[in-house]
Amino acid sequence: MTDQNPIEALKALEVLALTAIADAPDADALEDVRVSFLGRKEGRISLILRDLGSMSPEERPAVGQEANRVKGVVCVALEARDLDFAGPGAAGGLDLTLPARGVWQGGLHPITQAVDEIWGIFRDLGFTRARGPEADTEWYNFEALNTPLDHPAADEQDTLYLVDSVLLRSHTSPVQMRTMEKYQPPIRILAPGWVYRRDTYDATHTPAFMQIEGLVIDEGITFVDFKATLAEFARRYWGPGTQTRFRPSFFPFTEPSAEVDVKRVITRPDGSTEETDWLEIMGAGMVDPAVLENAGYDSERYTGFAFGMGPARIAKLKHGVDDLRTFFENDVRFLAQFGS
Amino acid sequence: MKTSYRWLKDMVPGLVLPPKALAEHLALRGAPVEEITSPAAGLGDLVVGRVVTAERHPNADRLSLCTVDGGAGVVSVVCGAPNVKAGSWFPFAPVGAVLPGDFKIKKAKIRGEVSEGMLCSSKELGLGTEHDGILELFGDFVPGQSFVEAMGLSDATLDVEITANRGDLLSHVGVARELASEGEGRVVLAEIPGAIDFSPTFHRGTPEISHGDVSIRIEDTDLCSRYLGVVIRGVKVGPSPEWLQERLRGAGSRPISNVVDATNYILLELGQPLHAFDLNKLGGTSIVVRRAGASPGTFATLDGEKRKVAPDMLMICDAEHPVALAGVMGGLDSEVTNDTVDVLIECALFNPKSIRATRRALAMSTDASYRFERGVDPESMELALQRAVALILATAGGVVDGPVLDCHAVEFTAQTVSLRLSRIERLLGVAFDAAQTTELLTPLGFTVLSEEAGVLSVRVPGFRSYDVTREVDLIEEVARTYGYDRFPSDLGPFRPGTVPDHPLFQLEDDLRRALAARGLYEAQTPAFVPEGEGEVRVSNPLATTEPFIRSALLPSLVRRLEYNLARGNRDVRLFELGTSFRAMGKGEPPLEEPHVAAVMTGRREPAHWSGPVQPLGLWDLKGLLEHAVRQTFKGRGVVAPAEGDVAPYLSGSAFVVLDPGGDPVGAGGLMSPGAVDAPVWAGDVLAFEFRLPPEPGPSPVVVHEPLPQYPAVERDLALLVSTTVAAQSVLDLIRSSSGDLLERVDLFDVYEGEGVSEGRRSIAFRLRFRAPERTLKDKEVDRTITAVLGRLKEELGVEHRG
Repeated sequence: MTDQNPIEALKALEVLALTAIADAPDADALEDVRVSFLGRKEGRISLILRDLGSMSPEERPAVGQEANRVKGVVCVALEARDLDFAGPGAAGGLDLTLPARGVWQGGLHPITQAVDEIWGIFRDLGFTRARGPEADTEWYNFEALNTPLDHPAADEQDTLYLVDSVLLRSHTSPVQMRTMEKYQPPIRILAPGWVYRRDTYDATHTPAFMQIEGLVIDEGITFVDFKATLAEFARRYWGPGTQTRFRPSFFPFTEPSAEVDVKRVITRPDGSTEETDWLEIMGAGMVDPAVLENAGYDSERYTGFAFGMGPARIAKLKHGVDDLRTFFENDVRFLAQFGS
Repeated sequence: MKTSYRWLKDMVPGLVLPPKALAEHLALRGAPVEEITSPAAGLGDLVVGRVVTAERHPNADRLSLCTVDGGAGVVSVVCGAPNVKAGSWFPFAPVGAVLPGDFKIKKAKIRGEVSEGMLCSSKELGLGTEHDGILELFGDFVPGQSFVEAMGLSDATLDVEITANRGDLLSHVGVARELASEGEGRVVLAEIPGAIDFSPTFHRGTPEISHGDVSIRIEDTDLCSRYLGVVIRGVKVGPSPEWLQERLRGAGSRPISNVVDATNYILLELGQPLHAFDLNKLGGTSIVVRRAGASPGTFATLDGEKRKVAPDMLMICDAEHPVALAGVMGGLDSEVTNDTVDVLIECALFNPKSIRATRRALAMSTDASYRFERGVDPESMELALQRAVALILATAGGVVDGPVLDCHAVEFTAQTVSLRLSRIERLLGVAFDAAQTTELLTPLGFTVLSEEAGVLSVRVPGFRSYDVTREVDLIEEVARTYGYDRFPSDLGPFRPGTVPDHPLFQLEDDLRRALAARGLYEAQTPAFVPEGEGEVRVSNPLATTEPFIRSALLPSLVRRLEYNLARGNRDVRLFELGTSFRAMGKGEPPLEEPHVAAVMTGRREPAHWSGPVQPLGLWDLKGLLEHAVRQTFKGRGVVAPAEGDVAPYLSGSAFVVLDPGGDPVGAGGLMSPGAVDAPVWAGDVLAFEFRLPPEPGPSPVVVHEPLPQYPAVERDLALLVSTTVAAQSVLDLIRSSSGDLLERVDLFDVYEGEGVSEGRRSIAFRLRFRAPERTLKDKEVDRTITAVLGRLKEELGVEHRG
């Protein structure tokens, strides 16, 4: 072998070895290939490595490097081919049906996932996220939103108070006013957050829950933009065939006000489709001029729309969860069903 | 509001929609129907039965033994009612029938006699309160005919959800008006069967009016603008005729007596609350409308409750005493009873805010107060009183004594609102001309008085005077009547907003994903906690066991961990992001701080057949905490060993979290055993919680460092270190004394025990040196190592182990 350039010899050995590995018919033959090339005593690559000591100092590094490279390539090929022969009963092979070494899975709460999905759609529609305090004042929670405290509309959200006029916000709508006070139009925000009500804890009510507020204000925003934006959201969230229905309603801080319903198209396993009933998903409307004036905006110049929805309710419908309390039990077996 | 389908049909000629379609239609006009029920629900098995014979039961004095013809032959029936008699008709439940309450009629033997069915009282059928006897039916019947059909109970009750602004819809006439706006455009009031023509004269006066010995005076005209009263003498109080009872039942109201039913009928028909007083129980036969005044004491309302009256509450009084809580409920002492002969009927207009304040203070709500709060039509008072009187005269007899006393303190003036056509288009995005707009508003009761240069002048009817006061209110009516669904829905271009995406949301997103990727599940828990876990108290909590809002997330999260352990979940890893509420100065809102917390227990990784798995321990916690802190403070926060107790729930082995400014913002470590209610098999519980920056700054820009071109030299140092010296201080000293060539240093082994003397431990470090521009020489590194070892010995008493 010394009569040949050792680097050339190594390259030739590499080709020989790879061919022999590929041709080996079983694990025993493969072991023979291994011994003939990499065997400690007589292996043909091992021999070259052993000869390194006798080489000139100029030659040595290059040959050493090449020998290690070829050895590495051959080792990898051997291992890969070895797997071909492995299996239950394969002599000396691995039982690859054995379970893998696992890692713990974690994940986001299903309500967070709902909020994220909703937010993702509105982000694509040009919205940014805003926040406000959870403990707020009567002014921001009611009066600034055109809801006098002595009007029956203030009753509908049974409010939890802390001291005097400080309360736990009963909806995310106070973020409307807080945002308008800080920024000038155009406003295009989404405000997810916790809200609190004096509700009994049962299958359909929890005294604290997530709500998502939306607010758009600019010159020239009309009822048509309002309908179009929310219909677009519904189609992106529930699928292209989703229909949207706007029903007149009443919220003190919007006028005209609407409840928004959706009707989805469900595809059955056999490919046929079915329309669901109308499902109420949010309250919304054109921002009341009194609210704009309270924020110091010129209500003759600016118009806009606002909406609010409950991601827990949406998640409940989406995942078939019967009881809202399940979301707060936080049993890891429940949480694990929603992956990460 | 519960509305009778038949009643609506009678009011809107040409209304042909069946109940379900009607409900759909109302929903699209803003008054969705919650449910449709039948007043005869559960009575389908009942038939009309004729009592053929009725004799005393041979073995019981109070029972009768009857034979009843229920259509399917004559059967014997034992009956306990005193009013059973041969030849009369009664509701009859044959064997096999099921009555409301899932009560099944079986063949039975009562005191030795066979009974094959039951004759029923109105109470048993849920149709009334009468339980002294069975319900005798008058008319021409056929034995065995359906009771529901015979009684005309086949009405449908629509429970309409009325929004807080639409007090005018709390009546059949209001709902009918919404329906008529698309039908023949006309609402008619049903004729009252047997009504005597009653055309009263009105005697007006203010603030007092009297006739004969009856007088009415309004003292507090700010709370009561008008009070109408009329006296009817010689009424005979008794049950109402069947048609009236049926109407009331169809609207979900229980019949009581003819006089009371008449006022309830008008309330349901016109939305006008009325009250009937027993005239002879009014001291001085006079009415005074005034605030309760100083030290008012208690007042017994007709439901038998004693109500604590406040000085500002508006009361209806006689010459001496209060006789009614104005607009809320009448008094027990002036109630109409079976012995009442003379009545005074009240029809008044009260201030909505005052009624609301009173009923809230007394924590009660009545049909009357509910309507007054939301606004009662000031323009239909005369009509309401007239119809009520006609109804009483027709059903209870009697004669009207004198004129209607009309104490009219404040005149109602209808408002006129300007409506710009240009504004309609600007808000709705669709143009409407004057003719279209007029056409849309008129059926709802609005009158377009004039139109000039694109501005309409619109008169608002009394029943809408509470909610329609501005131009935008009229625009909503235009949109609603036109139909929301007829507006286009084309997504146009939009401008981006000026509000930046709040950075705390972004931090929360990152943190959630980082912790979930490390195998933790996100939990969500409500902020309400028991005493001791919060600084801020809710003044009106629903659950008295949880009257506080939390100052920390961990206690709630630990309860979720305990919940999981109790259900046999052994591997529990949870985190939560939420708000901490801290008490501030008296009367101030609390300080809100965003927090993150995590708890975990169980195995470090899922079990694997290749070998045992370690439980999660302190070092896992420290690693997780460091990771979370790095995410939060962009690599600038610190996790350091705690000195002393940092948190009561942590054992001695704990860490503190320092923010980039060096301020402590949280802690973590091994939970002390007493802090967790865990089963015996549970392992260590690890936890942390720290405060997030409320307005996180942007992440620092990464400036890349070129990768090294020259080889590194590594040296391992095994050092004997006193147990009183912290590893961190050894590490710090190695770093500070190694010069610029030290690239990194890692602690890779700690050993105590055999071969290492008491009070010391062996700590091994791997130091990697590198020069950026050349290959390092061994000698240089040796010199540095010698210097480092010298400093370590000198300053920390550390010896080189070799």
